[in-house]
Amino acid sequence: MKILVVEDNRELASSIYDYLAGENYICELAFAANEAREKLLFFTYDCIILDLMLPDGNGLELLDFIKAERINGFILIISAKGALDDKIKGLEEGADDYLTKPFHLPELHARLRAIHRRKNLNGNNIVSFNEITLNTNTFELKIHGKELDATRKEFELLLYFLVNKNRVLSRQAIANHLWGDYTDNLSNVDFVYQHVKNLRKKINSAGGDDYIDTIYGLGYKFNTNKGLH
Amino acid sequence: MKLADKFTLWFLAIILLVTPISMFTTLSNIRYRIDNSEIERLKAVNNEVAEQLKAGIAPDQYSQGRPIAIQKIDGILPKEKVQVQKQKCDSTASVTDECRITVSSYYTINGVNYQVSSYNYVTQSNQILKGMILTAILKTLLIALAVLLTVRVVSKKILSPFNQTLKSIQKFSIKKKQALRLTATNTKEFQELNQFLKKMTDKAVTEYSQVKEFSENASHELQTPLAVLRSKLELLTETDIQQNQASLIADMQNAIEKLSRINHSLLLLTKLENQEFEATTAINFTKQTTELLTIYEDRITIKELKVTQLIEPNITVSINAALADMLFDNLLSNAIRHNVKNGSIFLEINQQGILIKNTGPEPVFPTEELFQRFKKSNQCSNSVGLGLAIVKRICELNNFDIQYIYEQGYHIVSVRFGSPAAATSAQANKVTTEEAGNKIVTLE
Repeated sequence: MKILVVEDNRELASSIYDYLAGENYICELAFAANEAREKLLFFTYDCIILDLMLPDGNGLELLDFIKAERINGFILIISAKGALDDKIKGLEEGADDYLTKPFHLPELHARLRAIHRRKNLNGNNIVSFNEITLNTNTFELKIHGKELDATRKEFELLLYFLVNKNRVLSRQAIANHLWGDYTDNLSNVDFVYQHVKNLRKKINSAGGDDYIDTIYGLGYKFNTNKGLH
Repeated sequence: MKLADKFTLWFLAIILLVTPISMFTTLSNIRYRIDNSEIERLKAVNNEVAEQLKAGIAPDQYSQGRPIAIQKIDGILPKEKVQVQKQKCDSTASVTDECRITVSSYYTINGVNYQVSSYNYVTQSNQILKGMILTAILKTLLIALAVLLTVRVVSKKILSPFNQTLKSIQKFSIKKKQALRLTATNTKEFQELNQFLKKMTDKAVTEYSQVKEFSENASHELQTPLAVLRSKLELLTETDIQQNQASLIADMQNAIEKLSRINHSLLLLTKLENQEFEATTAINFTKQTTELLTIYEDRITIKELKVTQLIEPNITVSINAALADMLFDNLLSNAIRHNVKNGSIFLEINQQGILIKNTGPEPVFPTEELFQRFKKSNQCSNSVGLGLAIVKRICELNNFDIQYIYEQGYHIVSVRFGSPAAATSAQANKVTTEEAGNKIVTLE
């Protein structure tokens, strides 16, 4: 997947670049609206990650430009403006998703993949790894082809792990993914711990391998090397 | 009291004060003129009599209708050749009495000293006054009536630019960021007032938008560095790190999480203060609360809380949808967070309001204080301490009455929805509860 990141903050752009490059995406950076316009005219991208506040213009203008020039590729807005109105406006203007800063990199990746599944794959909404198969349309979880009764949150958690394989996922990142805007007022560490614990138990009892590692005090990691042992 | 009424009252007072004074001066003036002309005439009569005496003609008893008395004087003549005597002319005289003016002139005719006296009756002051008073009263009434009518009619015309200005100010809202528009006037004072108002409101509008912009921008500007920090730490966790380094990173991540929450809440409070959530619609509160309960369902289960719900169907509340969400979100998450394991939550929502009751440890501060910003019952807990401040602000904006008490191991928060008509009484209720709260504090 080829991605254009339009973000004027170079440090943040490089973080996104590093993370996505690690997932084997081809990533290009544009630090200003004009630069982005040029790149969009000469190259094609599968996805455009778009910051709304740019030094030489508004990201929404860029959105209009993309529409006017009939440029392909889905659009994910990353913005510091988190109000509902801003989100609605961005989505109405034709963006596929809207992520508020400060976001977690695994969250950005999960969103990218979700849009990708939604838009590109022809009815293929199966995410699988070894014995684990997830159907993102029906929320069915299968281990060794046998259906596992998991809650919606457990399903979302596992999908998050599978999208961000071999990445350390902090508890905050997981909480944010599971509960979105409704994480602010709770100490989520315990809840995340419980969900991970339950999920591991269920996969284990269905005969699946325990891929989820606990990383010190940081969080969890879906370790793909584990199944090989 | 209306400005026109004030003017009228002052005018009437002035008229009442001035009329007697003017009457008195007029009266004394008339009196003086009448007396003087009579005195002059009597003098002339006396002189004529003296002329007759000189000519050797015996004078009549009367001359020009005035009785004359002629007397020979043996002694020397008095210094003043003419003497005037007034009888019963002052105000003490009764109405039936007549005012008599006697003029005595002294002459030396053919070596003999004569005193020639003549007198006449003139109109008394009291009678003049009587005649005047009727006119004066009539005049005063006429003026008063004229003043009353003119002030009403003219004030409406003269004050119309002022009234229009007043209307414009009342309609003026700083939030709308629209400059105040005032109609032109040729009255100097109103021109000055309009100029001043225009200047003031223009300044207020620009400063308001500047402050608003600043606080919003500040919060927004913080988001990007926070995003940088968070992403860099996430990338750092991917590298080969030791356990002690990992715990350092975890601490930093927690701090960033908290910082981002504080920032988010402060931004929200700023927006609430700026009343940016004005668009209120009638929303289905039942639907909104049940949806939120589903979102928190897994966390309620994990904490093994027993939730008792008494939610009426189709509750309609007139409030901004985003605010309704925040309000209930904060209340519910507080009830979950400040609960104990195996605790319980009692939830009653109906058309009148919300009652949320949950088990939990006793608060350290009086519950009223927990509405203040950054006030937490447990200072070292992970919370930001802005949740209840936000709740209170939302309630104030919507004229809801909120109370928080701790009783027999239960935290009880009740929110009364006020209808727009009952807003004032809700306000009054709030005052009484605040007073009650203060009393408790002073007792302690």
